[in-house]
Amino acid sequence: MSITVRDVSKRFGSFAAVDGVSLEVPDGELVALIGPSGSGKTTLLRIIAGLEVPDSGTILFDEHDATAQRVGARRVGFVFQHYALFRHMTVFENVAFGLRVRPRRQRLPEGAIRAKVDDLLKLVQLDWLGDHYPSQLSGGQRQRIALARALAIEPRVLLLDEPFGALDAKVRKELRRWLRRFHDELKITSVFVTHDQDEALEVADRIVVMNAGRVEQVGTPDAVYESPATPFVYDFLGSVNLFHGRVHRGRVQIGGLEVEAPEHREAQDSPAVAYVRPHDIEVERGHTGARGMAVIDVIVRHILTAGALVRLDLERTDSGGIIEAELSKERYRALDLRVGDRASVRPRAVRVFVN
Amino acid sequence: MARPTTARPGPAREPAVVRVALIGTALAFLVLFVCLPVVAVFAHALEKGLGAYLASFAEPDAWAAIRLTLLAAAIAVPINLLFGLAAAWAIAKFDFRGKSVLVTLIDLPFSVSPVVSGLIYVLLFGAQGWAGAWLAAHDIHVVFAVPGLVLATMFVTVPFVAREVIPLMQAQGAEEEEAALVLGARGWQTFWRITLRNAKWGVLYGVILCNARAMGEFGAVSVVSGHIRGKTNTLPLHVEILYNEYNFVAAFAAASLLAVLALATLLAKALVEWKSPELRHATRERAPFAEGRPVRS
Repeated sequence: MSITVRDVSKRFGSFAAVDGVSLEVPDGELVALIGPSGSGKTTLLRIIAGLEVPDSGTILFDEHDATAQRVGARRVGFVFQHYALFRHMTVFENVAFGLRVRPRRQRLPEGAIRAKVDDLLKLVQLDWLGDHYPSQLSGGQRQRIALARALAIEPRVLLLDEPFGALDAKVRKELRRWLRRFHDELKITSVFVTHDQDEALEVADRIVVMNAGRVEQVGTPDAVYESPATPFVYDFLGSVNLFHGRVHRGRVQIGGLEVEAPEHREAQDSPAVAYVRPHDIEVERGHTGARGMAVIDVIVRHILTAGALVRLDLERTDSGGIIEAELSKERYRALDLRVGDRASVRPRAVRVFVN
Repeated sequence: MARPTTARPGPAREPAVVRVALIGTALAFLVLFVCLPVVAVFAHALEKGLGAYLASFAEPDAWAAIRLTLLAAAIAVPINLLFGLAAAWAIAKFDFRGKSVLVTLIDLPFSVSPVVSGLIYVLLFGAQGWAGAWLAAHDIHVVFAVPGLVLATMFVTVPFVAREVIPLMQAQGAEEEEAALVLGARGWQTFWRITLRNAKWGVLYGVILCNARAMGEFGAVSVVSGHIRGKTNTLPLHVEILYNEYNFVAAFAAASLLAVLALATLLAKALVEWKSPELRHATRERAPFAEGRPVRS
């Protein structure tokens, strides 16, 4: 089932939590809503679920207007950030809840309910926990029970609010992969909220980047990471170096360096910011003029070798600003840099935004 | 008694003298102001033997007082239970205009002297009161009759259930209710299966306290009662009348019933506290569960 959000707004007092958002979630996709706290992503998710009523705009499930539908009639699966398991019920009864509260005529016979709950518990690989209470489970187990409970009503869409937010790093990673596999098997249209870019980039088919109640960019993980549409997206997804300079007729001047920016051919000497990812910074030993190329001179301030890549903090000799660069281990060994050494950098790929 | 069990000095240990002095003071205080009076009540009641003690309950007026006390509590407690639940639910789970006004109003009976609360009903429903003439014309007796007693009892016991349940419901938040709604539960099902189940110990605790106050209330009831023997005397009022008549055995016998009620309340309260984890640490309930247990997958 596809979800369409059309021009939805929601204010809390004078604060515009969601500000004229439109969005398409195609059938069977796994979409991540990502943004800093207060960007409106959770509010948007709750509006789709029916837990919040939008001030204006419409929500469509497969072309059918669901805006006025009460939350229980929408048949959405919702997984809460803090699981919201019913603390006074066993795991089994938690999962069975959605089946038991149906009107008598639509309710399954007890045997069928039991069989279905058992199946769901097997699906989340926790069938041995049926008679435990939520307080006896670990965080990861609770999250999977919450998911099984949401799936019991055979939801048309699955909505997850920071599903892994309260878990430690290792469990988080495991569950992330598990959710992806899970989605590939079930093919249920899913939207999940996160503030963790790695999570979004790794799990989602498409990413919706939100900021201040608006959508900044929608695209595949590759697209939003490799070609961010706005400075905000650049800043938010992954670390990035900022170079302030001036752009004139398609050429950007940063310190002693000039870079091509053909998309700004019309710009007339206006201030601009160039964004460069740390892995797009090329580092050479020694200062300017080694090979007569335009570069920025730096001094190595800090070297972090833990991990697959080596991270260097480099201080610009002209402005004193810090540039972050990432090198492969081989390249780092070849350069043989130490803290305090002189070096020079050159951006390999630049994205320029005119202020 | 205050024998030190472990003599090992620790960072939070006071010298034995200080410990004995502190514990001794507390115990002496308890014995002097709590235990002695309770014992005195029973001692006076049984002064002239068990026969005289029991005979004082054979009095029709004593019976009438017991019955009336039970009746007032039997009406006031369920009504305040319903009101307390509705108010707590509204306050803890929803946001609306005038919420703080409602909270203040619920607390009002605590801050107003019980005598004043009784007087309010006399002013409203008494012969010279606002509704007095209309009530007299329709032959409805409120003041100096059972309805007045019930009203006064209800008024002074309004806060008990709500005050117990509101913080509990607030600490539990509304997420479980939202989860129930998303799963297709109706409002009533959500309240019955989730909200009430989660708050049940707090509700029971409130009912116990409410009941104790309803049966023991003196001031407000005294004003609206009129002290008509066998008709409008509750147990506490009955005690006062007997005492003023120097009928000490009967007075203390009636008082001993109230003391038994108080002890039973304490016991029930302790049981509820012991049974319910939420009441022991309602605020800690929502703290995230310790991570680190292996997840099988």
